[in-house]
Amino acid sequence: MISLYKNLFYQSLRIRMVEEKIIEIYPSDKIQSPVHLSIGQEAVAVGICNNLLKTDLLYSSYRSHAYYLAKGANLNKMFAELYGKVTGCGKGKAGSMHLAEKSVGFMGSSAVVASTISHAVGSALASKRLNKNQVCVATFGDGASEEGSYHESLNFASVFKLPVLFVCENNGLAIHSTIDQRHSYKIHEHAKSYNLKSTYIEEGYDFMKINSLISETINEIKLTGLPQVVEIKTYRYKEHVGIGDDHHVPYRSSKDFDNWKSVDPLIQDKTLINEFSEKINAEIEAAVNFAEQSEFPADSELFTDIY
Amino acid sequence: MSSEIIQVLKEDGTVSPLFKKETDLTEQDLKKIYETMILTRVYEERSLKLQRSGRIGFYIGCKGQEASHIGSAYALKMDDWVFPAYREPGVLFLRGIALKTMICQMMGNAGDPTMGRQMPCHYSYKEGNNGSVSSPLATQIPHAVGIAYAAKYMKHKIVSLTYFGEGSTSEGDFHTGLNFAAVFKSPVVFICQNNQWAISVPVARQTVSESIAIKAKAYGMPGIKVDGNDVLAMYQVTKDAVERARNGDGPTLIESFTYRLGSHSSSDDAARYRPEGELESWEQKDPIIRFEKYLLSENILTPESIKKIKDDAEEEFTQAVKEAEKVGLPPLETLFTGVYKDMPESLREQMEDLINEQKRLGASEDNSMAFPL
Repeated sequence: MISLYKNLFYQSLRIRMVEEKIIEIYPSDKIQSPVHLSIGQEAVAVGICNNLLKTDLLYSSYRSHAYYLAKGANLNKMFAELYGKVTGCGKGKAGSMHLAEKSVGFMGSSAVVASTISHAVGSALASKRLNKNQVCVATFGDGASEEGSYHESLNFASVFKLPVLFVCENNGLAIHSTIDQRHSYKIHEHAKSYNLKSTYIEEGYDFMKINSLISETINEIKLTGLPQVVEIKTYRYKEHVGIGDDHHVPYRSSKDFDNWKSVDPLIQDKTLINEFSEKINAEIEAAVNFAEQSEFPADSELFTDIY
Repeated sequence: MSSEIIQVLKEDGTVSPLFKKETDLTEQDLKKIYETMILTRVYEERSLKLQRSGRIGFYIGCKGQEASHIGSAYALKMDDWVFPAYREPGVLFLRGIALKTMICQMMGNAGDPTMGRQMPCHYSYKEGNNGSVSSPLATQIPHAVGIAYAAKYMKHKIVSLTYFGEGSTSEGDFHTGLNFAAVFKSPVVFICQNNQWAISVPVARQTVSESIAIKAKAYGMPGIKVDGNDVLAMYQVTKDAVERARNGDGPTLIESFTYRLGSHSSSDDAARYRPEGELESWEQKDPIIRFEKYLLSENILTPESIKKIKDDAEEEFTQAVKEAEKVGLPPLETLFTGVYKDMPESLREQMEDLINEQKRLGASEDNSMAFPL
């Protein structure tokens, strides 16, 4: 049996290589929607999703590729969606920022900051009422914690004792604003003002550590039915939106970037990279071919899937 | 910081010796505060009667919360700003509004500065730096933060103060407002009047925090819980917070722990959801009775002067209603004015057409005071 480390590594590497492929394709304009890349943040998605059943429901932000893949959704359908093809997970109508795959419990992602947090809470209320032993997970960035919807959601989940896991992937940046320009609080400490249990992980590159904390947290939530908050410090390698690097723009230092790269297993563990690359590449090539060969949606699709 | 509740004036009407020694409130101040509390109580009781007899359409009151808002507002200077919820009529009295204007507002006639465009009790008093009352909850919080941010930016030494209920702490605007004010050290004072009920939702269903005041800790600002039925504590705590803000030390969250002795509004019956005995126990803590005991024991007021203050308030209200009822309806053109600073030509044409139509057909019968409304 493949070890846990290898399994999580494989999943993380697969996400990174998918996004690197997106970077390669993007200048061709075949992918027409904006892309918010998760490169540097893959361990968070993998560490969370490894502990979720298909029946557990996940809601993410627009930086959604990693979650879509980690939750087990189909890669062909993802590339097709990015290409705007009818075989995509949203029939080519959703694009990169609104990936969803109900069959694996990836319920949605949205361009509107913090909007899916309240969806996770509402869905947890429904699961509680319907007596489903289900955890609902909301993942969001540090910027989302400034939104009113975040506050309302945490308060509501706490008052109504709902089985929600709130995960903040704190990459320290809301587009270009640093956290000290925006927060009077630390996210995991602020969560205590709702009487919520909260934990903090500094090593957002360490999928093993994230996996083990999330495993414990999910078990507690299933046992107690009470919500919890997890804050994970992570690092966005690429610019906020798009495929470029932006360390030359003076809002963040390349020194921090170098520090993260020096501990990033997806860069450092060359043995496993070599072991897995070929297989992953083949899968990606097949997915890109699938997307290329698929059709665009017919005009009649403009009117379907609304009501 | 959070569970401790600050009290100066005990329920038996005695005060701590320290307060007596250090307070800057003169006898004149104390009388002014008391008179305003009485006027506010009379205003409430009489307005509810006006509503029940169909002379105004709606009333929303503050019985039991007079100390909470009048004590705190007394700590402000006149060029400071207030952004109210809807249970703070006493602040308007303190800031000099005419009683007749308040009643005209509730009647929605031409004596109402907003010309009947707002619901009764949704006062707007720009001259007194008092933001307009609004029905949506918590919207006043970002307004207060915004004006405080602007004041700091423009180097004006003013403070803004906002009132909201504990129900509003569940709104997103509470979170964004407090965070923004704390990050930018805006000179603002947040006063949460925790009156235990958001219409029929008790505070235990609103939050699981051990208090409202403790929420301040999350934003790195001081949070103070005060006996909201203690007018002297409300004044003192607010004064300290206003000074902090004015000195550039940022915002403060004050939880005024109080109780709504009346129903949510004239459209509500609190007896349907209040537990038995709760109202009676809070009536024992009536802020006016407590303050009266103190003023009598200090010989600042006598039973006779108290009676005169109450009689005068009743008489003032009677006269103001008489005068307000003489004021006619807002003119027809107010349907069109107050939207654009310079009215667009197309709208002006419509206004003139309507006025000509009125001239041609004659005015309709004025049944604004007919019962029921």
